[in-house]
This record gives sequence, structure tokens and C-alpha cells, in this order.
Amino acid sequence: MSRTALLCLAALAAALVYPLLVPNYLVNIGMLMLFTAFLGQSWNLAGGYAGQTSFGHVVFFGVGAYTSTILQVTYGWNPWLAWPIAMLAGGAVGWMIAVLSFRAGLRGSYFALITLAFAEVFRILANSVPFTRGGLGMLIKADQRPENFQFKDSIWIYYLALALCVISLLIAWQIARGRFGARLVAIRENEDAARALGIDVFAEKVKVLTLSGAMCAAGGTFYAQKYLYIDPSIAFGVDKSVEMLLVTMVGGAGTIFGPLIGSVALTVINEATRGLASVVPALKNVQPLSLVVYGVMLVLIVARLPDGLMGLFRRRPRHA
Amino acid sequence: MKSSTRKFSRRGFVAGTTAVAASGLGFPAILGAQPAPVKVGLIHPVTGFVAYNGQQSRLGATMAVEDVNKAGGIKGMGGARLEALLGDSQSKVEVGVSEVEKMNEQGVAAYIGCFQSPVGIAASQAASKYNTPFLIDVGASDLIVNRGLKNVFRLKPGFGVCVDQGVAALGALNKAAGGPAKTAAIVHESGEFGTGTAKLLAGKLPSIGIQPKELIAHDNPTRNFDNIALRIRSMAPDIVMMSNYGNEYMLLARTLFQQKVNVAGFFSVLGGGFNYKFVKEMPDVSQYMMDVNHWYNPRSDKANALKKRVEAGGALFTFEVYLSYSNVMLLAEALERAGSADKEKLTAALAASEFKAELMPYGPTKFVNGQNRGARPAVMQSLKGDIEVIAPEDVSSAKAVFPRPKLG
Repeated sequence: MSRTALLCLAALAAALVYPLLVPNYLVNIGMLMLFTAFLGQSWNLAGGYAGQTSFGHVVFFGVGAYTSTILQVTYGWNPWLAWPIAMLAGGAVGWMIAVLSFRAGLRGSYFALITLAFAEVFRILANSVPFTRGGLGMLIKADQRPENFQFKDSIWIYYLALALCVISLLIAWQIARGRFGARLVAIRENEDAARALGIDVFAEKVKVLTLSGAMCAAGGTFYAQKYLYIDPSIAFGVDKSVEMLLVTMVGGAGTIFGPLIGSVALTVINEATRGLASVVPALKNVQPLSLVVYGVMLVLIVARLPDGLMGLFRRRPRHA
Repeated sequence: MKSSTRKFSRRGFVAGTTAVAASGLGFPAILGAQPAPVKVGLIHPVTGFVAYNGQQSRLGATMAVEDVNKAGGIKGMGGARLEALLGDSQSKVEVGVSEVEKMNEQGVAAYIGCFQSPVGIAASQAASKYNTPFLIDVGASDLIVNRGLKNVFRLKPGFGVCVDQGVAALGALNKAAGGPAKTAAIVHESGEFGTGTAKLLAGKLPSIGIQPKELIAHDNPTRNFDNIALRIRSMAPDIVMMSNYGNEYMLLARTLFQQKVNVAGFFSVLGGGFNYKFVKEMPDVSQYMMDVNHWYNPRSDKANALKKRVEAGGALFTFEVYLSYSNVMLLAEALERAGSADKEKLTAALAASEFKAELMPYGPTKFVNGQNRGARPAVMQSLKGDIEVIAPEDVSSAKAVFPRPKLG
């Protein structure tokens, strides 16, 4: 067994034991960390591996959240059954955006901006159409039973987030070592050269955005079930897109563990700076200070580590 | 290296350890005599796009905690002091819930928050897992108290009551003035509170002979209202009604003034920016504007004394301050009666509370499904750079000017 595999198993074992040893607050932080890593991984497939930077990935998150919530609240579906439908909806929206954008030849910053536009369009739609209840938002009735996708003990939602995170890592691993991943990397590095090599660039990009959309939509359903309330700003707000992009960039885009490392790092920095503000008496009433510290550390990471934190673990090429 | 080792001198070490030993071990009897403090979790958005409102809420709540402690703490619990645990929701649902979990670990007896309805909905839901009482100091959505959660209490009125009383007050004003208002444009923020309020208004305005012409939603934050102001001017309604957060409220009001939108009245329901800051900084813009909102009772000596204290500290006496202050006092009163911070006893004491919310023009407190039925908003008007209460009559401080004089 390789050293990486051993490390992964050790990390998984630690993640499994973690919630049994820490208080609920830290279980919740762990859950958020894993969930953000999962969302980041969905962004990473399209943005990291295929180089299709998206500023509006939240559109898939929102579609997933709204699809399952509408099915559950309006039509009485069981949320577990609504979950795969939400993923299908997210995948369908990913497919639609990909076909429309790539057919029109949009690349790079133009593609990034069109995804942002799509997210805004969906947010405005969610605000306007009656079946989403517009700005009133949708409240899922609290019914804390596992068969209802609600858990009285927060440990179970943590394990669910862990499962999602592990699945997303396996998907990334499968892509990274397979032909599909190689084709995506080729497209990322030079789209014209990839086409010249016989890669169907359009089809590959559509595939990856569809997969990414379905994954992100799964995250949307998870969020709705955890917090039991969504509205257009929560479901389609730009800050979620930024969060997905940020954890991936900080951790290392186009790497298997980048989003997870990024999510862990940013959560630790955020919690540590917030904790500092509440522990040091002089800083007790200076809450925004934690955000300043958070921002400075973010700038330092991005400036000093352009390949993200994963760059620290990469072997440097030997010089002759 | 030398300088760093010098810091740990023998004398300093002995002095330090002695002090620690004395404080922790030397006076166990004295420490033991002190009842454990009652921890109160204050969760507000002190950063993010409604940071000012969150900071005002925190100000009111911490002042109340100080006042309770200065007055001898919770006497029913042997003089136990209140200890405020300060949390920042950062205007995000996830962070608000995270604060609930964190404070639960710290042994919080009750929570007070959260200013924004979505954060309040999720945070109080999280608190319900631990059966911990959650007092909503600000949060207009009626969803908050309509979920059947036994741990949630709201002292203030929700947007349903504000709309009912606002429509009734507007109907009376319009009737007394000979009915100059027949149509209205409603501008609202696109979230739960603005949309909910606007929809209720649109449904109830016809009952007083006013037809809503259009509901115009805007995002948070919005930094330019030119298009909305021009749209309103072109549709020429008799009344413009607004429901939005502070910055957007003030910006919209200023833009309507700049665009010389002439109407019989600006009548907002829960206009987040209708406060002293607005009327002092923009007296021309705010003149004759009306708002149905949370307000203090101008005839209450306690409210006026608190107003003076807040203003002496350089802050404004906005509704967040006295609502949060009153919620801490409501909790303190319930703790007195419960005689314990036990969550079940405290929840029962809150549910049976007859707390006198004398800072506001409320009737006797009576919680039904967590909502205080005695709560009522006030109708205010900005007159000559000040805010006057024009209804209800028993607490009014001035007569309303309606319709407003035309802009030049």
C-alpha cells in the first residue's frame, strides 16, 4: 500500500472518530468543513480540472435546494427520494448552460461571466415565480427523523457530509487517473491543441459541467435539509459561488485534495480569528477584526502560494 | 534569547503562581458563595450588510445585562449575574447556527437574536434541539413563530400585525383628509421580510379604498434607486409604501426626493431606515414621511431615560436598542419567576410571562404560540427634524400632516 493510501486511510479513520471525541460545536464546524470541501470539489471538476472557471456555480446549488424542497414541501415527497431528482435537475441545468455557452464559443472570462449571469437570472426567477414562494422563501417542517432526512443528533449529519466528501474525492480521483481527466487537463492547458489531438472539446466540457452541476445540486439539497429554510438570496447568492471558488483556489485547483485542504485551512483560520476576538478582552467588541485577519491571511496564501496549499506538498523538480 | 528568558524571572513566577493559587484555591468559600452566572447568548449580525443594526442590537442587550447586574442580578437565584456571550452571525445562516452550537457548549441558558429572519429561523430551530429558549428581539417574519417550536418567543409584533395596524392607520388618515390617496406603489426588499410585508399590504390596501398599482422588489444591497424612482414617477401613485432595510430605505427616500416624486404621502411599513439618523442627516428628505414600526413609548419615563443614556454614549436610540434591551429584561423577569436557569422551567416561565414591556407602547405581554399578543407598532411621522408618534392615540406626541405639501 502506498504512503498516500495509508495517509488517506488514517485521515478517514480520524474523521470517523472525530465527532465521537469533540463537543457538538466542533462537530458542526467539522460538518461545515466537509460540506464546503464537497461543494468546492464540484467546482474543482469544472474549474480546476477542465479549466472552465465559473463565477456562478451557485446556480446548481440553488437548483438542487429548490428542486428537493419544492418536491418535499409542495408535493409531499420524501426528501431522500427528492435528492436524486434534485441532482438530475442540477445536472440538466449544467448541461443546458454548457451547451448554450460552449456552442456560442464562450471561453475563459466570458464563460465565467455567463455563469454569473445565469446564477443571477435564476435568483431573479426564484424571486418572481409563485412555486418558489418568491422572497418569502420556503420553510421545511422540522420533523427530526432519519427517514425524513433530519437528525436529532448532529453526529449523523456530520457523517453524511463526510460521506459526500469521500464520494467527491473518489470521483476526483477517478477523473484524475482516467482518460476523461487527461482529456480535461488537455483542454485546460490548450483547447486548440486538444482539439487538434482529436479530443471532442465541446462534448467533454458539456460532460464535466453536467457532472459538476449534479454534484453541486446534491449539496443544495443537503443544505436545505440541514437548515430547513431557503430563499432566493440563500440559494442563489453569489457568496456561495465565491466560497466554492475560494476553497479550491486556496487548497489547489485541479488537485484531488485541494478543495478539502482549502476548506480545512479557511475554516480553521476563520474560527481561530473569531475565537481570538471573543477570548482577548481588548478585542471583544471588535468582531470585524477577525474578518480583517482572515482577509490578510487569505491574501498571503494566494500571493505566496499561487498553486494553493497543495503546492507545498508537491515534489520540486530536481535541478541538474 | 537572553531577553526572552529574563521575562520569566523567579520573582515574577512566584508572584504569578501565588496570584493564581489565591484566586482559584485560596478563597474557595467566597467563590462558592457566588451563584453561577446565567449565560445569555446574544447573536447579532455585527458584521455584514446589516452590521449597524446588529451592533445597535448588541448595544441594547449589553446595556440591559449591565443594568440587571447593577441592580443585584437575578434575586430569585441568589443574585446570580447575567453573563453575555457575544456572537456574530455575519449575516449568514450557517454562522448563526454555528454560534448556537458554540454557545450551547458554553452552557447558555437562553439566546437572544438575530435581526434577520432567515438567520432567526435557522438559529432558533438549532436551539430547539437543546430545548433552549430563543428570544427573537428583531425579526419580522411571521414564519418564525408559526412553526410550533415551544422554545421561541417574540416580544415584538411581526409583519402581519404591523401591516394590519398600518393599513388601519392609513385608512383613518386618508378618510379624515377626504380620501386623496387612491393608488399606491409598494417598494420592498426582495427577502422574506420585505416580500411578506408587501404581499400582505397589497392584499389589504383595497379594504381602505387604495389600489396597489405595482409591487417593486429590490435586492440587498442596492446602491442606486434612480430607475425605481423614475418608474414610480411615471406611474404617479398617490402613496409610496416601502419595506426595506436601513441603507436601502434612506437611499430610496433620498432618490425619490431628488427626482421630485410628488405624492400625498410616503408611508412605510417596517422601514428599516426610519430613525433619528435619517431625520437628523436628511431633514428635508425625511420631512412628512411616515412609518409603521417598532418605537419607544414617548410617554414612558424609563424609555426617555434610556434614550438619554444611549445618546450620551454617542449612539442613536434606534428600535434595535430598546427591543434588545427589553428582551434581556423579559428574560431576567422570567428567570426571577423560574428561580432557576433550568431550560424547561425557564421556557414555562417565559410562556406564562406577563412582563411589562414599558419601553414600547405595548399592552400586557401574553404569549400565544410564542408571539406576544400585546405587542403593537407605532405610527410615526418625521416633523421638523424629529420623529413624532401620530398613532396609537394613547401614546401619540403630535398630529399627522397628511397629505404632505407638494415638493417645489
